[in-house]
Amino acid sequence: MKKYKLNIGWLYPDLMNIYGDRGNIIVLQKRCEWRGIKTEIISIDQNTNNEQLLNCDLLMMGGAQDTQQEIVGKDLEKKKQTLKKMIEDYVPGLYICGGFQYLGKYYKEASGNIINQLGILDMYTENPGDRRLIGNIAIEVDFVIANEVKQSKWVEKRKGPHGLRPQDDDDCILVGFENHGGRTILGSNIKPLGKVIYGYGSNDVSLEEGAIYKNTIGTYFHGPILPKNPELADWLIARALEKKYGSTSSSESKEKIELKILNDSIAKKAREVILKKLIKNY
Amino acid sequence: MTILLILIGKLISFVSKLLNKGSGSTWPGELALIINPKFVKKITLKNPNLKIILIAGTNGKTTTSLMIYEILKAAGYKVFRNESGANLLNGIASSLIKNSSLSEKINYDFGIFEVDENNLPLVLENLNPYAILLLNLFRDQLDRYGELNGIAKKWESALQKDNFEHLILNADDPLMTYIGYSISSSRTKRGDLSKIASSHSVPRKDDITYFGLPENLMTQKTLIHGADSIYCPNCGEKLIYKKVAYSHLGKYNCPKCKFKNPLVQKDEILRLTQDDKNFPLPGLYNKYNTLAAVTLAKSLDLKDEVIEKGLENIKPAFGRQEKIEIDAKFVQIFLSKNPTSFNQSLETIIGIEKNPNVLFVLNDRIPDGRDVSWIWDIDLESYIDKLKNITISGDRCYDMGLRVNYSMEFPISNSKINQNIQMFEDLQETIKAGLDSIESGETLYVLPTYSAMLEVRKILTGKKIL
Repeated sequence: MKKYKLNIGWLYPDLMNIYGDRGNIIVLQKRCEWRGIKTEIISIDQNTNNEQLLNCDLLMMGGAQDTQQEIVGKDLEKKKQTLKKMIEDYVPGLYICGGFQYLGKYYKEASGNIINQLGILDMYTENPGDRRLIGNIAIEVDFVIANEVKQSKWVEKRKGPHGLRPQDDDDCILVGFENHGGRTILGSNIKPLGKVIYGYGSNDVSLEEGAIYKNTIGTYFHGPILPKNPELADWLIARALEKKYGSTSSSESKEKIELKILNDSIAKKAREVILKKLIKNY
Repeated sequence: MTILLILIGKLISFVSKLLNKGSGSTWPGELALIINPKFVKKITLKNPNLKIILIAGTNGKTTTSLMIYEILKAAGYKVFRNESGANLLNGIASSLIKNSSLSEKINYDFGIFEVDENNLPLVLENLNPYAILLLNLFRDQLDRYGELNGIAKKWESALQKDNFEHLILNADDPLMTYIGYSISSSRTKRGDLSKIASSHSVPRKDDITYFGLPENLMTQKTLIHGADSIYCPNCGEKLIYKKVAYSHLGKYNCPKCKFKNPLVQKDEILRLTQDDKNFPLPGLYNKYNTLAAVTLAKSLDLKDEVIEKGLENIKPAFGRQEKIEIDAKFVQIFLSKNPTSFNQSLETIIGIEKNPNVLFVLNDRIPDGRDVSWIWDIDLESYIDKLKNITISGDRCYDMGLRVNYSMEFPISNSKINQNIQMFEDLQETIKAGLDSIESGETLYVLPTYSAMLEVRKILTGKKIL
């Protein structure tokens, strides 16, 4: 097998790291290493420049407390153009909670004060200032629809009990924990990540959760999201490998890259335990 | 009226004990507060000689409370404390009822109350304490408590009421120090905090005292992941740490506004650290608890001999390093309820035994926090190779299983390599398996969340498995 290596960019690891989001980095790294794919974790923060950011093959950004988000907001302005270019260019990324909100057009505080965000994704967030949306959440995702732009050979290969799509079902259930005051509303140019089965989702009205745009995923899922939902981790890894080592559509000499299937029985059980609690007759 | 409430409260407590419906530690107070919301205010005003000590912070409340209790008892005072789980206003009210005579007389010198983080402002509205100890703030149950800065702000504004005689703060936690500066600055009405913080000698009123660990006991050179308050609470700049004790506790300074650790009371600390026996319990976190208790004792001008005598009497509190013997084997319980306490438990256990057998129990009930994301902030990677047999259980046993799995070089499913790991949904079965994995005379170290700790104790002390 060819030697692959992914540079995983972790955006603001010591500012945007509230409550376990680091788990996503650990899972991405270990699932690569267990398959013989080398990884390097690159911290992207106030001390890194745009070149270092561009060098990343996969991005992850967590949520944060308000004070921390102010600091990050200032620095992100300097990285805005590069990040936008990467997202438009299909660099896969996972943006959680506060990280997700940054990608939108603006954040309206309870006071009515509007904070401009990066404006990369067609969405905005409002905080009505009343209750926070807190609790376990389960959603149904259809990765194939979500990924309409680039239907991947990877998806086809990985059908099976541990694959991206359960054997006889094109849908997939993700479970996690949400805790957010902001309500995110999507524009027409962007799709939700999934439909809410249990919990609130991006806002408490639409019954939709998160967003997916090209290879970028935004979500309110803590938990963190990837350990219990390894399909999503593999989806991100697959996209990153494909982008870095895969062929362009014009080329015939397609490179064969296969993601080795890992035993995800513990994740499955963890998910089942929660779903049994949340959903009757599960 | 108050007399009636005390009578009813005592009755409830008695009946509840008789029926074995728990210890009845919050019911009497809850009822009293429903009937008369000013119950705590009234009864404490009627007992002006009762000095109340409040202890708040994420970690260490129960142990610090126990230490102060023992020291004050050694000094000959009459002392009572609330039960560790009953740390809301209703728990304090219950404790006051329990220790009051029917004539509303509380015949004690001191009442020591540990207080829930969110409840401190409410408690301060209801009573005027002799002393308040603020130990630390770590990330813990964000679904319940919200963000750390939010709690710190609530504390700060509640303390502006200035209805205490002593404020004792952890100098090594930037947020606690900031609260102290803020209170002194609004007192001196100078307003500009950066000016005060940057002046070389920190202004200190006698009634605001700081405790901190000597630098030679801080062994960590850099911050590890999950350190919380590492940005200057005054100006937002990233703090520079010269030394780290653990998490964000250490010797810090702000390169921009010069905010830094305040001076601590050196004399008793030096004296204490000359002799390790003066720290009655293992673990760096217990050194902080000891320093907090001793600083409080010093505010009362207690003699060193008395303090030392009190500390000698310390036995581990309920579920906090508590050791239970089962058929010539031992189980030691280290309550581990958030990333910092879990890390510190592992650090302490490995200090006791090089390759310990451990049992992790992860629940997600209300007292534990419904969100188990925090386990990913544990620095398990630093300890995993040292752990001998790992047994895992709890409501979220597989979540913990995943955490352990991803901290290892190879996946758990590789059974040839990882045969030392077992998972059981059933707690009783788990404890049995854990005990089976150790030899006679050996110790099984249990790291449970709060509700799991209660369950483990129930199984062990009820000897259900034997």
